[in-house]
Amino acid sequence: MIVIGIESSAHTFGVGVVKNGKILANEKKMYDVGASGMIPAEVAEFHVENSGEVLETALGKSGMNLEDVDGIGYTKGPGLGPCLQVGQMTAKTLATRLGVELVPVNHSVAHVEITKHVTGLIDPVALYVSGGNSQILKIDNKPYRHYRILGETFDIGVGNMLDSFARAAGLKPAWGSTVAKLAEGGRYTAMPYTVKGMDFAFTGLLTRATELAAERKMEDVCYSLQETSFAMLCEATERALLLTNSVELCTCGGVAQSKRLKEMLGSVCDEHKIKFGFASDDLNADNGAMIAVTAEKMLEQGYRAGPKECGIEQRYRVDRAVVF
Amino acid sequence: MRRFSGGAEAEIFETEIFGKGAVVKVRCEKKYRIRELDVSIRRTRTRREAKLLHKARMGGVLVPRVIALGKFSIYMEKLSGTPLKDTKIPEKGYGEIGRLLARMHNAGIVHGDFTPANIMVCGDDFYVIDFGLAEDSRSSEERAIDLLLMKRSVGRGHYKFFESAYAREADGSKETLARLSEVELRGRYQIRTLT
Repeated sequence: MIVIGIESSAHTFGVGVVKNGKILANEKKMYDVGASGMIPAEVAEFHVENSGEVLETALGKSGMNLEDVDGIGYTKGPGLGPCLQVGQMTAKTLATRLGVELVPVNHSVAHVEITKHVTGLIDPVALYVSGGNSQILKIDNKPYRHYRILGETFDIGVGNMLDSFARAAGLKPAWGSTVAKLAEGGRYTAMPYTVKGMDFAFTGLLTRATELAAERKMEDVCYSLQETSFAMLCEATERALLLTNSVELCTCGGVAQSKRLKEMLGSVCDEHKIKFGFASDDLNADNGAMIAVTAEKMLEQGYRAGPKECGIEQRYRVDRAVVF
Repeated sequence: MRRFSGGAEAEIFETEIFGKGAVVKVRCEKKYRIRELDVSIRRTRTRREAKLLHKARMGGVLVPRVIALGKFSIYMEKLSGTPLKDTKIPEKGYGEIGRLLARMHNAGIVHGDFTPANIMVCGDDFYVIDFGLAEDSRSSEERAIDLLLMKRSVGRGHYKFFESAYAREADGSKETLARLSEVELRGRYQIRTLT
């Protein structure tokens, strides 16, 4: 089976091509967020302008023709409405023209699925960390097969927190990695630490770090901010692993590109003899291949979307999506 | 010392103190986080837990007696009983559990993990254990979470007795129960009610 996946939930427009589980192409273009952040309408315009080119490059690299394709997957949500719409329209047009299946995919599910796909993990606890989302997930078969949210952020995603801090402190983009770089030479200073069971919150930490940025060395603030926020994620994850008696852990999403986070999670897993896996950075950032892989799996399992399902949903919760 | 049980943040060992059976809860070092953070978290939580155990006892809630306090460890009396989750008691018996939670909330404490695994049945008495996630709080939101955890852990009949006893005895129970209905409407709590 050959499936195209289209991702457009935020600043990335990505197209992936997959054939029987093998990723043949994974192309993307990213909107330059700059100092102002994302303005949905402008990002959507960017996606419209670049969709054709990204699609063509991806097809070219995959060595496939449009006529070979069996299905088109796209991100249904969660994400920014105008941006999602561009991906959905592109996918719908293609599917209608080619007369193939259209597959709406949950963005968060796709992040975990691609990670399972490349690591070979079977039933892991997943720490999904990105700009907009920070959740601890695991498959639950009742009342339908879905990712149950074991723990999540009470306010903002950890990536959003790091970015907002860096912007307020006048650092350069890409913010997360700038914070990581500065953190290397820092020393610890106390910051608020908020974990409740398997949930966590980041806004208190953000406020305090922004205040401290004016008083302390930037290296120290970045170091402490990163150490504190990642330790919070690790504690909640460790609790989820033990509570569910899990033997596997994976991490995914944009923030999962962080070396330090993976090092810390690796240490949690060592202590409990748990298998730990993650995908490469290009598959952790938003991309089309993860949508393609998930859509192919859904089609293989016999999923066929009804016309009413093929819309977009800005707040498409991960636990509302049926997993195949 | 024999390892008795343990969770993510602490281990519990059986030991003896002054010739009597005791348990010690040790908050262990976590290698994933930097030392400064690790020490500060373990120390504050150990102190807070001991303080709340004492406060609960003063409020008339049966809890294990604290015998001694270390930097990262709490020595407590060893209870001879079984966890409520492994004990069959009649539905009516859950009224007493409701009164127990009411007393704890009235004392200004929320437990944070109020499930049948953390209630010990010792003869006719019920003891509340594990104050690791407990907090000094009178917020209706956190109180509602205590009720919700119990609601999702036991049968409907059991819960009915539990809730009506709680409603009679807890201060501000009207507000807490209203909050509970609100919390249950949130997306993450809805999925399992579809069954």
